[in-house]
Amino acid sequence: MADDTRKPMFNRLAALVAGPFLLGREAVSLAFRPDKDGPPETPPKLTPSRITVTPPEHAIKRRG
Amino acid sequence: MKTRLPEHGPLETPRFWRTLEERIETPEAQQAAHDEFLPGAIPPSFNMGPDYNDVHGLPPQSGVSRRDFLGLVSAAAALAATVACDRKGQGTVVPYTKRPVEVIPGVANYYASAHQEGRRVYPVLVKTREGRPIHLTGNDEHPGVKGKTSPRTMADVLRLYDPDRLRAPKASGRVVSWAEAEGHLHAALTGAKAAGKPVLLISGAVASPSRKALLADLKTALPTLEHLAYEPAAGDAVEVAALASFGQAVDLQPRLAKAKVILSLGADFLNGEDPEALGAWGAKRRLKSAQESINRLWVLEGPLTLTGTNADERVPVSPSRLGAMAFALAKELAGKGVALPAGTDLSGVSTGAPAEIPQATWASLVKDLKAAGRQAVVLCGAQMPAEVHQAAHLLNAMLGSEAVAAIPAEPLATVKELETAVQGMAAGRFAAVLFWDVNPAYTFPQAAAWKDAVAKVPVRAWIGQVEDETAAQCQLLLPENHWLESWGDFSTPSAAVLQQPTIGTLYDTRQGEDVLLDVLKALGAAVPDGYHAYLQARWKKELPFGTSFEQALHDGLVKGEAKASAPSFKGASVAAAAKRAAASRAEGLELVLFPGFATHDGRHANNSWLQETPDPISKMTWDNPVAVSVQDAKALGIEEGDLVNLSLDGITLKLPAVIQPGQAQGVLALALGYGRTTGGVAKGMGVNAFPLVGLEPASTHVRSGARLAKAGGKKTLSRTQSHHRMEGRDLVRSLTMDEFAHDPQGHHHRPELVTLYEEQRFPDHKWGMVIDLAACVGCSACMVACQSENNVATVGPEQVARGREMHWIRIDRYYEGELENPKVVHQPMLCQHCDNAPCENVCPVNATNHSAEGLNQMAYNRCVGTRYCANNCPYKVRRFNFLEYTAFKTEPETLVYNPEVTVRPRGIMEKCSFCVQRINDGKIRAKGEGRAILDGEITTACMAGCPSDAIVFGDLKDPKSKVSQLVAATRAYRVLEELGVKPAITYLADLKNPALEGGHHEA
Amino acid sequence: MKPDAAILSGDIPEALIEPALTVGVVTPGSLDDQVLAFPETRPPKQWYIGLAVTLTALIIGVGCIGYVFVTGIGAWGNTSPVFWAFDIINFVFWVGIGHAGTLISAILFLFRKRWRNAIARFAEAMTIFAVICAVIFPLIHIGRPWLAYWLFPYPNQRALWTNFRSPLLWDVFAVNTYFSVSAMFWYLGLIPDIASMRDRATGKVRKVIYTVLAMGWRGAASHWQHYEKAYLLLAGLATGLVLSVHSVVSFDFATSVVPGWHMTIFPPYFVAGAIFAGFAMVVMVLVVVRETMQLKNLITMRHLDVMNKVILAMSCLMGYSYMMEGFTAWYSMNEYLHHSFMNIISGTYGWAGWVTISCNIFIPQILWFKKARASYFWMILVAVGVTIGMWFERFVIIVVSLHQDYLPSAWRIYKPTMIDFGVLLGTFGIFFTLVLLFARVLPVIATTEVKAILPGAQPSHHGDDHHV
Repeated sequence: MADDTRKPMFNRLAALVAGPFLLGREAVSLAFRPDKDGPPETPPKLTPSRITVTPPEHAIKRRG
Repeated sequence: MKTRLPEHGPLETPRFWRTLEERIETPEAQQAAHDEFLPGAIPPSFNMGPDYNDVHGLPPQSGVSRRDFLGLVSAAAALAATVACDRKGQGTVVPYTKRPVEVIPGVANYYASAHQEGRRVYPVLVKTREGRPIHLTGNDEHPGVKGKTSPRTMADVLRLYDPDRLRAPKASGRVVSWAEAEGHLHAALTGAKAAGKPVLLISGAVASPSRKALLADLKTALPTLEHLAYEPAAGDAVEVAALASFGQAVDLQPRLAKAKVILSLGADFLNGEDPEALGAWGAKRRLKSAQESINRLWVLEGPLTLTGTNADERVPVSPSRLGAMAFALAKELAGKGVALPAGTDLSGVSTGAPAEIPQATWASLVKDLKAAGRQAVVLCGAQMPAEVHQAAHLLNAMLGSEAVAAIPAEPLATVKELETAVQGMAAGRFAAVLFWDVNPAYTFPQAAAWKDAVAKVPVRAWIGQVEDETAAQCQLLLPENHWLESWGDFSTPSAAVLQQPTIGTLYDTRQGEDVLLDVLKALGAAVPDGYHAYLQARWKKELPFGTSFEQALHDGLVKGEAKASAPSFKGASVAAAAKRAAASRAEGLELVLFPGFATHDGRHANNSWLQETPDPISKMTWDNPVAVSVQDAKALGIEEGDLVNLSLDGITLKLPAVIQPGQAQGVLALALGYGRTTGGVAKGMGVNAFPLVGLEPASTHVRSGARLAKAGGKKTLSRTQSHHRMEGRDLVRSLTMDEFAHDPQGHHHRPELVTLYEEQRFPDHKWGMVIDLAACVGCSACMVACQSENNVATVGPEQVARGREMHWIRIDRYYEGELENPKVVHQPMLCQHCDNAPCENVCPVNATNHSAEGLNQMAYNRCVGTRYCANNCPYKVRRFNFLEYTAFKTEPETLVYNPEVTVRPRGIMEKCSFCVQRINDGKIRAKGEGRAILDGEITTACMAGCPSDAIVFGDLKDPKSKVSQLVAATRAYRVLEELGVKPAITYLADLKNPALEGGHHEA
Repeated sequence: MKPDAAILSGDIPEALIEPALTVGVVTPGSLDDQVLAFPETRPPKQWYIGLAVTLTALIIGVGCIGYVFVTGIGAWGNTSPVFWAFDIINFVFWVGIGHAGTLISAILFLFRKRWRNAIARFAEAMTIFAVICAVIFPLIHIGRPWLAYWLFPYPNQRALWTNFRSPLLWDVFAVNTYFSVSAMFWYLGLIPDIASMRDRATGKVRKVIYTVLAMGWRGAASHWQHYEKAYLLLAGLATGLVLSVHSVVSFDFATSVVPGWHMTIFPPYFVAGAIFAGFAMVVMVLVVVRETMQLKNLITMRHLDVMNKVILAMSCLMGYSYMMEGFTAWYSMNEYLHHSFMNIISGTYGWAGWVTISCNIFIPQILWFKKARASYFWMILVAVGVTIGMWFERFVIIVVSLHQDYLPSAWRIYKPTMIDFGVLLGTFGIFFTLVLLFARVLPVIATTEVKAILPGAQPSHHGDDHHV
């Protein structure tokens, strides 16, 4: 009984929250098109986060 | 803590002593005991050095008080805590457990090395920090480049850290070991050798003697090898003309120091590619007085080039008519008594001034060239048709020009030879094909035909850095070292140049020569182990007596003029060329295809620094719109940014158009090197213009019969400058030589600046800069140098289109006069470090303030980003991080950062710091050596990068410094001086030396 | 005849006699029943609809602000050289709206303009809500909003201090002072009314809340004595602020070197504009309140007439200011200033300049006619026009001046994004949500003050209760 009366209320609440949210999302997507989400060929995830830097072999430095 | 304990009673109380001296009660010991717990209790000898001011402007401290000590201890603890934590996911910071001998943390190492782009060689000095190359400048020991290099070379350090680089070999799309990958290659090549089937090797230009020798060795071991050296951006007309005029391939090197009159036939020798030419140009233009000699630059060209903007006299001429004009000029000169080379027949050439050029201008040009004689030079643009090159060769031969050297060079393959190779591949002639640092799948005009032909070659191997269009068509991908990880050598006219690695390989890569050496080994040849040994073995034989290989590496070069005799001009070739030139007429629009300023032939397209460096003329970034002349745009109803269909020979490209003032009517210009389909940065930027390149070698890059039509729609242009006129404001001053001689300040009066406040005082130094607009050509090398030095972020085309580019220094380019052939001026604009800076007083949190040395400095971590400072900056040189441009970067991209410059996150303002890190470095160095700072010792990155030495930085407090002397020059003025902001940058007015009025006629 | 004598004799011409400030029969008791009934009854359906609309706008605004927090100022259209745009336009716009309330409640109080009593409460509330809308912007417009507290000179161990030379810092003080004094002033005036509501309250919760808010007001003579003194003092304080706040806001522009900003006329010009915009907003809201809340007998056409006259006067002042801007641009012979002024009336944003001039100068001239001042249609048209016009005036001052300043190479066209509009919408949502809540929770009319102007409430020269 109680559930029956509450349901539309929830719907209304949901609409109240979802409406602005969807509108906002629309506004955001208008300003920032989805096709800009980073270069498609980003480096593979498997690569280590740190790269080992080694000094060159046989090279002669000028100064430092 | 300064209170002493109360004096204890008489001597009867028990006494303790620490030293015998104290027990004996010498006065010194008593004093020492007395002073022991006082602040600054250190022996006087510690405090006897010369009293140099601390770098931070603090007075010298005599020791450490307990308060300081505790402060340091707690700071150290806090630091230890902060160092222990760091950004998420990036691991823990640990010190070197085994420190490499070469690397001292915090100290930069410099290595001499070299880089090649096409036939041009760039000797460089590489700055490394903690083993990472971070900044490039020219090799200061090299007599030609004198410490300068090109913008693209400077930016190439970024390519080392390109995250798209292939990190391990691949075979048929699978990551494999080098042994396996090379196994496939060796099997194919030995098989081909056994079967006697040809193998095709396509590489770029060969400018390295050792590489040439290696290729010769390979040819010996594999006689069926066919090698093509292909440079798609160079233009085959150069080769065709050189063969006709000299009978061999030559590399023309301008010697502008010896030139009084320069005639450019579409030659863009001031575009930054040639630091030697720019150096000579700058030296001829940085005049102290009007009595000094100046050169005169005549430019006849179709599109507006950077050289054209610096011309003293410029006539827009379509490239198809240039040849006829040049031959007419030769005939005119011959008629005036200039001797023609033997066998030259100019009877087919009509006499008199061509219709395209005003009579007075023509007469003046002829007079100028004749008067200058051996000191005149005619330079021809690489893209121009072969007959224009031949005419230029003829004119130089006639004048006996000293200002150009024709140096025999390795021949380049023309598009014709490539076409033959395509036919061979399609016919199944080749057993294997090897691509080395070339991308013909992208650069060959007929991409579809290429793809079909390549597919018919059984084994296709590719050596390169980033998987490109060609790699996609190959089974074997062999990842190559970046040149900063490689060995090599090059020959330049004034010195032999050595290339050495400045970092160990970042990934599992090898340099191409090593791959070829392994091939040689597999083919049974006896070769040294690795290219380093190969190179060393060759050089041990070649080095002059007394020079060690180590010394040569240290210097990066071995000085000595190349001993090659100049080829002689063949007069008999002229008649045919003159006939072709006379017949040359453009039907429809004439399209000029030129290498992109940023991308060249597309090899730099994946470099965001270069993509975001605006084209010096159009100020476009990240794109290659087609440039349309003002007249044609009007006729076709095209507006800036309109999408157009450009069609030629059945190929149609849809791309945006820009209206280019100064471009000859009927001429279209389009940059090559865009529209790549691979690479995280390059992909999708602009359109690929290579399909429009012609297959007739005599004129591959100038095509007639183009059609242009509006396609409907517009594209937002990613342009860094959208207003091109000065609106009559006194921003860039330009003087003719007459004005310079008689009235250098002109009608401009120095505003009387009154202030209620006390003058600012600068006790030690007052840093200032002078920019000579007469020497500045607008090549934008300073922009790239600054970007590299100061970790300037790139923001991408959409953000540039919104005006959010981050460059600390920009080149303002203004047009003046009628748009059909405007006068063009360039002005580097950077923070003016005003003494009365409007930005400083409006910052609510004091994030930007004035240093005691006249620097307008930014405290990034104090900035909250109100942006008021930028609003109040009359020069609009402050840059705001509107979005997060840096924090999400990971290695390898972050490895290129200069550790001395803060990487700025979003929400804060940044701007030119006058390279304060370099200033402090110089001060520390001088202090360490116990001397004063020398003039010229401290350079900003823009100054060091400027190939024409237009920028001078120094201490204005030192009356003998170069900058102090230049500030007092008659050409000196300050931009917007009337605002009373007291900028620290002084500009010297631009100089033009026109032939007709206002110039020096004796030139 | 000496005027004093005339007063004493009660022989005053008809025209000089102030007409009654209320319509019909209003007694203290009926007034309480009429005004204090609103918080005691359930709101009508229209109120809920209105609240739903304004809350939606508010949520969109908050969402957009959240988005800006996450991504950065780049979510807006701000760029180089237009580093300030909607953020500061909206700030100045809302601070301006806030000026009418304090002017009505403080300055008119000091001038003993008794017609203000009926509308002062509402106007003051609008001031506070408008300033709330305004202060959002200094906080969110900065690049690193989480460090906004750095703008306050608070003692800290880093010994970092704010820059007292910066007009932005002056702003921080001016707006904060303005907000706190306005809020205090408003609350002080509310206390007797809240006490009335406490006395009338039936529900327990309601009673407790109003009891706390009434701060023990019992209507004792000593209470009234203190109250009147405090009110007078705060009115005096607020009067200065009406003039100072917008002058200080104008310093943000006037003390800079940007052509089009750097002008001495800005402080008075900004104050006049603020009063102009504020009155327009008050008229707009009052018309709605008067009609929907059946307050015609208290908020009379005479009120609206007077307000419209103020709007007209301010419109003329604005016209004078605009002309002075043009005159300065011409007379100074400053090419930059000249260019900047020409951009207002021509160029890319010329339309914005003409919207400003039309809405602020031309349209309000209709109010010269008494009929227009008495017509809802015309006064709403003018009020809406002025609100739009004053927003565009700030657009012209900020965006148009910035987009082309000294070096043509840096010039650029500014385009707002959807987020910009979302935030603007959000501030209207915040403002009207607060207005709607206020209308149902607190007495919208200062009953105590209106009681003082009811016929017979004041000592009269005509009445029998005359004593000195």
